[in-house]
Amino acid sequence: MRASMSIWAVIAAALALLPFWPGAIDSYAFSFLFFVFIYAILSQAWNLIAGFGGQISLGNHAFFGLGAYATAILWSGNYLWGSLYESHPRIYYFDPVTMAIAGLVAALAAALVGWPLLSKLRGDYFALGTLGFGEIVKVLFVNGGDFTGGAFGIVAPSSTFDTLLPHYWTGLGLTVAVIIAIGLLMRSRYGLALIAVRDDEMAASANGIDTLKVKIAAFAGSAFISGVAGSLYTYYIFHVGPDSVFDLDWMLLPLMMTVVGGTGTLMGPVVGAFVMYAVFDLARIVVPDYHPVVSGLAIILAMLFLPKGLARIGFGLPGLVRRG
Amino acid sequence: MQQSETILSLESIQMRFGGLVVLDGIDLAVARAELVGLIGPNGAGKSTLFNVMTAIYAPTRGKVRFLGRDVTGVAPHKICRLGIARTFQLVRTFLTMTARENVMVGAVYGAGSRAGNAAQAADEALDLVGLSARRDMPTRHMTLSDRRLLEIARGVASQPALLLLDEPMAGLNPTEIRQMVDVIRRTRQERGIAILWVEHKVDAIMKVCDRVVVLDHGVKIADATPAEVVANRKVIEAYLGEPAA
Ligand SMILES: Nc1ncnc2c1ncn2[C@@H]1O[C@H](COP(=O)(O)OP(=O)(O)O)[C@@H](O)[C@H]1O
Ligand SMILES: [Mg+2]
Repeated sequence: MRASMSIWAVIAAALALLPFWPGAIDSYAFSFLFFVFIYAILSQAWNLIAGFGGQISLGNHAFFGLGAYATAILWSGNYLWGSLYESHPRIYYFDPVTMAIAGLVAALAAALVGWPLLSKLRGDYFALGTLGFGEIVKVLFVNGGDFTGGAFGIVAPSSTFDTLLPHYWTGLGLTVAVIIAIGLLMRSRYGLALIAVRDDEMAASANGIDTLKVKIAAFAGSAFISGVAGSLYTYYIFHVGPDSVFDLDWMLLPLMMTVVGGTGTLMGPVVGAFVMYAVFDLARIVVPDYHPVVSGLAIILAMLFLPKGLARIGFGLPGLVRRG
Repeated sequence: MQQSETILSLESIQMRFGGLVVLDGIDLAVARAELVGLIGPNGAGKSTLFNVMTAIYAPTRGKVRFLGRDVTGVAPHKICRLGIARTFQLVRTFLTMTARENVMVGAVYGAGSRAGNAAQAADEALDLVGLSARRDMPTRHMTLSDRRLLEIARGVASQPALLLLDEPMAGLNPTEIRQMVDVIRRTRQERGIAILWVEHKVDAIMKVCDRVVVLDHGVKIADATPAEVVANRKVIEAYLGEPAA
């Protein structure tokens, strides 16, 4: 456990120093890694509620989109920094306050929909309910008038960046922060409760665990992380539209990545994000017309030959596979 | 027994599922540190009675009082925090956890959670049921007998005043049964925990319990010492009459 964690620390340090390698910043690998970070964060978020919590959310793309929109709206409307914005035109760029609010907006939405959906003992209510929630949010944003920019969406005021360096470092930093936060969480008494709820909800409540509270907290945490990822994406894409940021892929790809990497493990989602994004990207470049086929095949092969995922490493509680 | 403090009392509990009356006018009291057997033919309503006490079901009529409070329909996790722990007829352990992690859940979230030192409570509970050597074993690799013991340890670690055991001997071999009887006895003696024990194997109950309650078709037909219960005509009919009916 300790040994494998130091391997991850070395990898993180090497990635942090990568920009100093001559030519690295302008290389394709640099933007590739930026997207791996976004997907790693989203996969961690999905793994928290589904892998550790046992509640299959099919609505996490909605939280990604809410975070993206919250960032674009706060920024373009200058809702936070008033006159400071004039003297510091880049103040919204990777602004921790803006990014935190993006996460909180998503978390609040999750708590509100999670409450009724997670009160049911049966998981399919939650899966279908969250899927429906994602669609409803998208429709609301399409019809949101000037506030949401309708079907076109919102373009954030600053529309160029000289370099991807701040994106890269912020993405890497957030990925590491999320891993550490979830690692600590799962070692805490809250993590114990979450696994208990996943393994046997009735036994969990018979042993003093407020299961609804535990599930809502995990869902809100998952949404918060997804919302922050959406915020990060806004700083890259600038144009936030309903069809792009509420796209189902923002939920489906992290789901596949987590399953391939190892559901309910700490590092599985990260490994899965890297491997699957590489496969998808390679397919997109090498066989552009067939990339969905190749990507789909890769997923099926991974499920067949790696039913427990690529990573079974780096986690204190042993054997955290999907619920039996 | 008469002079000791009553911790649990059920007052004319009725439980009905649609038109089916499963429990009908059940009165029952359990005193501190008392070991009470609860027997009755299959389908008599024993597990349902446990589910009413632990608020998995709200009774259609009647009250559950525990430590002087009306706890009818209070949320299950609160019941546990107030001091009622239980096991399940179909064992419910946390299969992806180790034995000790299972017991830690009870210790951290149960009635003793405010008393601090959950780790010590967990280790003592594992010790009581004889699972200390297997504390780091993943639960899914454990035998049925060990899982049943683990469920008891988890309940004990929550530091309850009352422990409900639902057929802890089902599926165990004679050696394991002897071990289980010993654990139940010591849980009461060493911890002072009152136990309400549902069992199919009537002879074990008769040997160990202070008092035996008999349910038949949702009605309480006897509530007396083991010696009195074995001589009770209604009880003999309920049991002997079963195959003929
Ligand atoms: N949720 C339920 N819905 C309908 N009937 C139930 C339910 N739970 C239990 N019963 C019925 O209640 C009766 C008593 O069951 P149970 O309490 O499990 O008996 P015992 O534990 O004494 O064998 C049975 O006839 C059973 O079918
Ligand atoms: Mg039963």
